[in-house]
Amino acid sequence: MDNVTNEKTRIRREFRLPLLRIPWGQAVIYLILTGGAIVAMLPFLWMLSTSLMTLGETILRQTLPKTPQFINYVEAWNEAKFYKYFVNSVIIAAVTLAGLLTTSILAGYAFARIHFFGRDVLFALLLSTMMIPESVTMIPNFLMVRGAVVPLPGLVEWKGSWLNQLPALTVPFMANAFSIFLLRQFFVTIPDELWDAARIDGAGHLRFLLQIVLPISKAPVMTVTIFSFIGSWNAFLWPLLVTTNDRWRPLMVGLWTFVSEAGAETQLLMAGAVIALVPVLILYFLTQKHFTEGIATTGLKG
Amino acid sequence: MSTINPVHPPLRKFPRKFIRWITIREHLTGYLFILPAVVIISLFGFFPIGYAFYMSLYNWRVKQGPFIGDDNYVKAIGSWQGAAIFTGGFMLFLLAYLLWQKFSAESQVKRIIAGVVSLAIAGGGLWVVEQGWEQMAVKGDKAFLNSLPITLYYSLGSVPIELAIALGLAFLLFQKNIRAKELFRMIYFLPYITPVVATALVFRTIFNQRNTSLANQVMGLFNMGPFKWLFEPKAFNQVFLGLQLPGFWNGPSMALTSIMIFGVWTFVGYNTVIFLAGLGSISREYYEAAEIDGANKWQSFRHITLPLLSPVTFYLALVAFIGTFKAFNHIYVMRVPSAQGTVNVASVSIFDTFYKANQYGYAAAQAILLFAIIMGLTLVQNKVFGKKVFYG
Repeated sequence: MDNVTNEKTRIRREFRLPLLRIPWGQAVIYLILTGGAIVAMLPFLWMLSTSLMTLGETILRQTLPKTPQFINYVEAWNEAKFYKYFVNSVIIAAVTLAGLLTTSILAGYAFARIHFFGRDVLFALLLSTMMIPESVTMIPNFLMVRGAVVPLPGLVEWKGSWLNQLPALTVPFMANAFSIFLLRQFFVTIPDELWDAARIDGAGHLRFLLQIVLPISKAPVMTVTIFSFIGSWNAFLWPLLVTTNDRWRPLMVGLWTFVSEAGAETQLLMAGAVIALVPVLILYFLTQKHFTEGIATTGLKG
Repeated sequence: MSTINPVHPPLRKFPRKFIRWITIREHLTGYLFILPAVVIISLFGFFPIGYAFYMSLYNWRVKQGPFIGDDNYVKAIGSWQGAAIFTGGFMLFLLAYLLWQKFSAESQVKRIIAGVVSLAIAGGGLWVVEQGWEQMAVKGDKAFLNSLPITLYYSLGSVPIELAIALGLAFLLFQKNIRAKELFRMIYFLPYITPVVATALVFRTIFNQRNTSLANQVMGLFNMGPFKWLFEPKAFNQVFLGLQLPGFWNGPSMALTSIMIFGVWTFVGYNTVIFLAGLGSISREYYEAAEIDGANKWQSFRHITLPLLSPVTFYLALVAFIGTFKAFNHIYVMRVPSAQGTVNVASVSIFDTFYKANQYGYAAAQAILLFAIIMGLTLVQNKVFGKKVFYG
């Protein structure tokens, strides 16, 4: 009886549009959601459209180019040297990632599963680094990579300075509290029975980590990988400081120097921006579900 | 010993020395595992703080100069006395807030009295802040001091709006029977992951002063504009409402407002995703119970969703707030000379001192001051709002 009246009021409340069969309330919700989506997407569409215009069209600001100028991409890739910056960015991201995974998997494991003196204090101290603004660290770090603070390892022809060299762009990012924290949170949940069993079979921590823990930790390792890649791909302030020539200049700094040096060629700039976007978009679409969930859970636990 | 440890009986067979060796080895393994990470983080994370402080005490241009004590700090803030008065004024705000909180649960008479008293204290605080600021402004560095209210505008202007929009979107997405949830979530998230330099460059052309820029075209639809956007150093207030308010109260420049819009556009998606996760973790039973008690949608949102979501909101607010105080990349990229420094937030101003003017020691002093401000604000935020968070 109760169900029947409920059903009646429900039907009455949700007056249905004739064709779509969507209740009014929902139609409004969809309208707002779609509006939000349009606002989120519009700049990207604008960028894409501008990247296909002629120079004249970018100045007049038509909404769409008359005939798409795909040649802009070729020009941006070759003449604006975005291919070089692109390759640099890929190498920087890969090297940083390799270092970061090594340090943070080891440290995350130790903080989760090895009992050593001062562990919790050290961990808290490590987490506190997340609050430090880059403005504070950049000045001493800049002196450091110029070799003015401590002697740096490196080739003779670098003359004791990492300026314009690969290590300056990678080594400082090869460890961070966030990745260690993320991996630790996962390693803590691995049941002790596994470790006991491994220990009975004579495995030490390193073998247990490599053969048992890592194969079942694909999800957090993946999250760290995505974050690290996007972090180094999108990095700007630090690379701007430590690259004064093309040798290792990454794409983001390349885009910026293109603005300040070439100025008005908006269509090439937008083509460059699209090029900068593509790898991130591909990565994002491939790992989309994992990605947002990774962010959601880390966000909540942080 | 009549009871034997049931878990590790074999251990008792080993000599004591051996057991101690095992534990020592365990400790050593731990240190060895964290060593690479600790070396890098110490070298590039901790050491720079100490070194920046050391640098800030010297007249350090490109090369280290003579020791000058607190001269760099005084140069930035004008006088310690002014800064102390200024900070004291903020303490009065805090005091007023705490007082008001303390009596909010008391009887109405007490509440009114407390309200009046705390209003008076807050008003006094405002006066004290102004006094302190005037003292600082006499001798202080205009570029650095101006960057502080600009940072504050940027923070207060973007964080609440971006959280409110995100909460709204998350709440709508969370409704039952909404299709294409994943698609919407994915689209909202795009601005957050795409390279900020690339998107900021796009917004640089969108918020162009030309009549034909996208922002002016959109405004044209509402019969408004054209505006100069990023190129407009005049206050937003002045341009839109024709109001001219004194000093700080005049608000952010049009250029900074455009950058705020970019900030909101970038971070709404991130906040939405986390709000969504937070909404998902609230048990359905609460809503069912409320429905049985006859609560309507708004009531259950107000009395169930909001309180149970408060840890998430608090976390997001904290992260966003600290984030705006550290923000650099997009502001630097969207800065044009015609904005006349009205968009120079603290980190941009510090970067100029360091990179353009080559005053390393002075820039380090400014950075330390910014760090102190961030720490202070975080502390206050934790103390004041952390308490109000309701952990289910």
